[in-house]
Amino acid sequence: MSRLEAKKPPLFISEPLTKDAVSQSLSLLSGILKSCYGPAGRLKQLHNGMGGYVCTTSQSSAILGRLSVSHPVLSVLTASVQNHISRFSDCGLFTAILCCSLIENFKSLNVAPCTVLKISKHLLSLCMDYLKSEACGCRVSVDFSSVETLLCLVRSVLTSKPACMLNKPEVDHLTTLILKAFMFTVPCHVETNAVLGKCVIVPVKGRRVADSTVLPGLLIETTEIHLANPLTVKRTCSNLVKVALFCVSMAGDLSNPEEGTITVHHGISLEMLELNQLLNIGKQLVSDEVGLVVCQKVIHPSLKQYLKENHVIALDRAGLCLMEPLSQMTGSKPIASIHLLSPSCYGSLKDVSIESFASKHFVHLIPKDTVVCSLILCNRNETAWDELKRACETAEHVLQLTIKEPLALLGGGCTETHLASYIRHKSCSLSASSFKDMDCSRTQYQLVADGFCRSLESVACSLNHDGGEILTDTVYGHCWFVPSGFPSVSNWSDLVSKCGCGINGNTENLNWRLLQGQFGSPVIQGCPEAPSVKVVDFLTLDCFVAKCSGLQVALETANLILDLSYVIEDQN
Amino acid sequence: LPMAFRDVNARRHIGLQQLSSLALAGRTLLGPMKSCKFIVDESTNQSTLICSALRLIESLDLTSAAGQLLNETIQAQNKEFKTGMSTLLFLVGAWSNAVLECLQQNVPVSAIVSVMSEGLNSCCERVQCLQISIHDVNKELCSSSVRPNTFKSVTCQIGHDCLLNPQIFLYFQKEISAPEVIPMNSCSHQEDDCNFNKCLASSLGGFGSIASLVKPVGDKSTSVISGSGVIASSCNKQKLTHSRYFSTIAKSRFSSQQDNFQGYLSGQPADPCECYGLGHLAMTLSHGNQTSMKLLQSIVAYQQERAECSGSSQLNIAEIVTCCLLGLPESYSCVSPGFVTLVSPEQATVIKYFEDKPLRILLMDGDLTEQYRHLGFNRSCNVRTILEHPSLQEGRAGDLWLNSMLDILISFEVNLVLVKGKVCENLMERCIANTILVIGSVTRDVLCAFGEVTSAQPVTYLTQLNTSCVGSGAYAELWKACDGRAMDLGELVPIRIKVRGIPLLTAVLTTAVASKMQLIEDQFWTLVYRLHHALNDKKVFLGGGAVELLCLSHVQMLANKNAVKDFHNPWLAAPATEYKSVVLQALASGWKQYLSVVMCNTAKAASELEACTSVDYHLKKAADCGSPSAYILKEFRRDDLLGGGFGPFIDHREGLKVYDNVTAKTEAWRRALDLVLLVLQTDAEIITGPKRKQLLNSHVSSEFMFL
Repeated sequence: MSRLEAKKPPLFISEPLTKDAVSQSLSLLSGILKSCYGPAGRLKQLHNGMGGYVCTTSQSSAILGRLSVSHPVLSVLTASVQNHISRFSDCGLFTAILCCSLIENFKSLNVAPCTVLKISKHLLSLCMDYLKSEACGCRVSVDFSSVETLLCLVRSVLTSKPACMLNKPEVDHLTTLILKAFMFTVPCHVETNAVLGKCVIVPVKGRRVADSTVLPGLLIETTEIHLANPLTVKRTCSNLVKVALFCVSMAGDLSNPEEGTITVHHGISLEMLELNQLLNIGKQLVSDEVGLVVCQKVIHPSLKQYLKENHVIALDRAGLCLMEPLSQMTGSKPIASIHLLSPSCYGSLKDVSIESFASKHFVHLIPKDTVVCSLILCNRNETAWDELKRACETAEHVLQLTIKEPLALLGGGCTETHLASYIRHKSCSLSASSFKDMDCSRTQYQLVADGFCRSLESVACSLNHDGGEILTDTVYGHCWFVPSGFPSVSNWSDLVSKCGCGINGNTENLNWRLLQGQFGSPVIQGCPEAPSVKVVDFLTLDCFVAKCSGLQVALETANLILDLSYVIEDQN
Repeated sequence: LPMAFRDVNARRHIGLQQLSSLALAGRTLLGPMKSCKFIVDESTNQSTLICSALRLIESLDLTSAAGQLLNETIQAQNKEFKTGMSTLLFLVGAWSNAVLECLQQNVPVSAIVSVMSEGLNSCCERVQCLQISIHDVNKELCSSSVRPNTFKSVTCQIGHDCLLNPQIFLYFQKEISAPEVIPMNSCSHQEDDCNFNKCLASSLGGFGSIASLVKPVGDKSTSVISGSGVIASSCNKQKLTHSRYFSTIAKSRFSSQQDNFQGYLSGQPADPCECYGLGHLAMTLSHGNQTSMKLLQSIVAYQQERAECSGSSQLNIAEIVTCCLLGLPESYSCVSPGFVTLVSPEQATVIKYFEDKPLRILLMDGDLTEQYRHLGFNRSCNVRTILEHPSLQEGRAGDLWLNSMLDILISFEVNLVLVKGKVCENLMERCIANTILVIGSVTRDVLCAFGEVTSAQPVTYLTQLNTSCVGSGAYAELWKACDGRAMDLGELVPIRIKVRGIPLLTAVLTTAVASKMQLIEDQFWTLVYRLHHALNDKKVFLGGGAVELLCLSHVQMLANKNAVKDFHNPWLAAPATEYKSVVLQALASGWKQYLSVVMCNTAKAASELEACTSVDYHLKKAADCGSPSAYILKEFRRDDLLGGGFGPFIDHREGLKVYDNVTAKTEAWRRALDLVLLVLQTDAEIITGPKRKQLLNSHVSSEFMFL
């Protein structure tokens, strides 16, 4: 007997943003994310409270990935930030913090949401046009003929994640390795559509960071006790190693046992039949002069024994994520059946050798010319290793994005303050016809623009975690930091040394002023200049594409959330 | 939804307090004189005896996030080095406290982080001047061996558990398979010093598979060295002239026993330093752990003899296994060539049938059961087998498998099967009945070693077997204790499997106290790995607190010198200079506490206050002398540092220095500091998963914020 229950009516929540619970949660989330930001950011321990694995991190990808939020408004926010992260890896915290700030600042304005929307869209387009113009004062072009700017980009990513627990020599070492690994993935001979290769991260946990290294080709871990140390491998007449790559299980179990029942007569062993089929494949591999067999899954021990007796190296459990680079590197097509073998599937390698790191043994597959490499990544403990891995992946991704658009933005808060002073300058000099187009008054425009600028500046301020003051200068519009403990009346030029990105030093009087605490009286100022010096070592740089997207995503998400008038919750 | 959030109070950082209180329990485990601890489980009233930071952490309740991270850090250090865990644990506690004090003084977190990690870096560079190469350690031995008094006093003081004198040049012969009894009374009357005689004999025992029971000459009974694998055979007379004791003994005894000993000299190594070196190095790294050191020296001597031709002086860890025998006194511990393991009495009976016959050996790298399939094999559950013409003659399916497996073993004339995993009990019984010895749970390294010398190829299934897979030339026998009697320890019997030329050595660890077993095994491996790492590093640190003292003096110098480091990152740089001296003092306090606690633990100081005074005295002297490292080096040479080294050899000032591992030590420091700084920089815990609901309803819910 089943009991029917009446459906509950859906719950309507109007004007969700005006609810206390929502704004509390929003400011809590904003607080968590702001406290993570930058090289001095605070870390979060994510764990289940019952003695499980503890993830110590300050990266948005790790935090948002594990966080599940209760309110749909927050879900909208986290979802769009995560979407940004999945596309660009970098600038996740920037996007999330900016979005929270925009919501907070715009909400407090007494301007109709639709007007805010129009004005902010205009502001965004001002920003994007400026960032994409040659005149932009907060971007540098990346010269691929020298490594300096590339090193700066990678270093900035690594130093902004304090939970990696790297000291200065370790940062330098890894920075070089990551760049080296990236260089391996750039093809030497570029045809019409060049495809970047892949860098595979090989975990070696418990070792010193300085033990990390990068090798061309791929490493497959092996625990085989039969592998003799000097590896002898069968070669073809052209002195290459012929490779067969299997993506199907060769474990000898039934391949498709999902549905239905198989009925067999007593005395017939399906296992034996499968094994015989495998051994037939083995015979063909041997007669085709294959020197190396790699299987994504497991190879039956009997087949392994057979191959070994015929001097063919068999490697199994390569794993799904190695399959694509493997086939890219060897030029072989993954074989998906143990019944059909076409000789056209085979690929080739230059050499095979054995490498050992810590207590792990690997078979090193060395290609002819490589676009695939392995980064053997070491860090002392698990939680720091995981953080470092995420940082390295981000850095690789940033380099990939940069090769497509060879530009970088000044980091350390300077782009944010510079953009803010640019917008402040621009919004004063806008013609009356523009306001008419947007259907708003000059005051309204000024209000929204000020909120927008304050949001940008609050992102820069989030870099500061230990008290002290944040300044900006009126010449370049860069961001400067003064440690706590100094009286605020003293001459700023005595206290500042370098701006956030490191491009400007304290050499001329730049007319500093406090970044915060000038609400209501926006300073009328000239257009911020581009710094005179263009190339300096040890700049803090951000990925251009990622930051531009972050800016757009933050504004669009903020507008979407501000525009929410109802939340309809299905209670069944 | 699952997420709770707790602010870690900035000034009184909860995480750091947790670390500090966890580490407090490990204070007495620091240094060479450790006090053991009983850990009692209140719910079951069961207790365990622990004597290392690793086992302590394993037995503590670590549900807090900081506790988990501490556990992870200690485990990582153990996995990598097997030593330095107590140092790590202690420094975690000391630095947590020091950092908490910095927070009390309102030092910004970023200043603590950058100054401390720069400070540690600088120290690690500074203490490089206290490293000496392995070669120099050996040279030191050569120069000190000119003074025979050193060794005489040491060997005699320690009595029965005497040090193995590295001057005895021993060669081993592996081919003797039958136990031999060597009467010793014929020569022992020549030497009046019965104490010394004992020493020598048991040092011989340490060298080979043999242990020895030597009775004082006075009671006229026969002294016996028994053993089966290796026997000490010959002496290098030239070297032995350094010591009159050894030369007389050696000549009189060994020359008269030529027939029994079949000794041979396999050519003299070019550099005498190299060949004694490892034994001496093991001694300096042992920090007073006699039993383990004796075993390790035997292993080293054996491996060196094997490697003589290749000339390498490396320690091969993969060729060492341990076998724990409960119920024998600790003095029975010894090293046996080959593989010693425990089997059931039924299995042991098979050995009697083997006699001295060479065995055909089979290696299996999985389980030996009917159900076992190689890893990654998916059993399909939707296969139905139908039997059309049932006949009563056929037995059950299980018997079918048993019979066919047994047939395979018999047809290939296999006598001995070493299995990596489990063994089916029925098959085991049937094998015993057919005089086939099957041993389960054999490690990979052991299988490898047997595979190499017997040319057996490991298989996963017996059906894979062909003639090339089966090896030959193995011998099995009951393992015999030093007094020659075969051991029957109740439920399990130790047996020994050997093959001619097998590099495998088993350290048989014995104790009569069950709760000490784990402890003894841990200590043995710690020492083995210390030597291993020393050889890998190719250098060692001066021990006995020298390194820590130099760190202390270096940090104090840094604190006074107001050098502004040029940080390239303005977000980390600015606050550093102002608080530098406070933070560096905090870093220094870790080592200072370390030194004073070690001094208290080793009873070099009556109280921590006294210890601190002594440390301060040395620091001042070091600073006054202008070059602290020169001062420390000088004092170390004189063994005058902090009450004469931390070793137990207080009375033997000369010759026996204490050394530490380089990488293991600096890595322990770095890991400890990393952990403290990682926890320090954490400002919130985010709890996800089902625990969140419990928190919401619990009394501590006010501590949390919910998203």
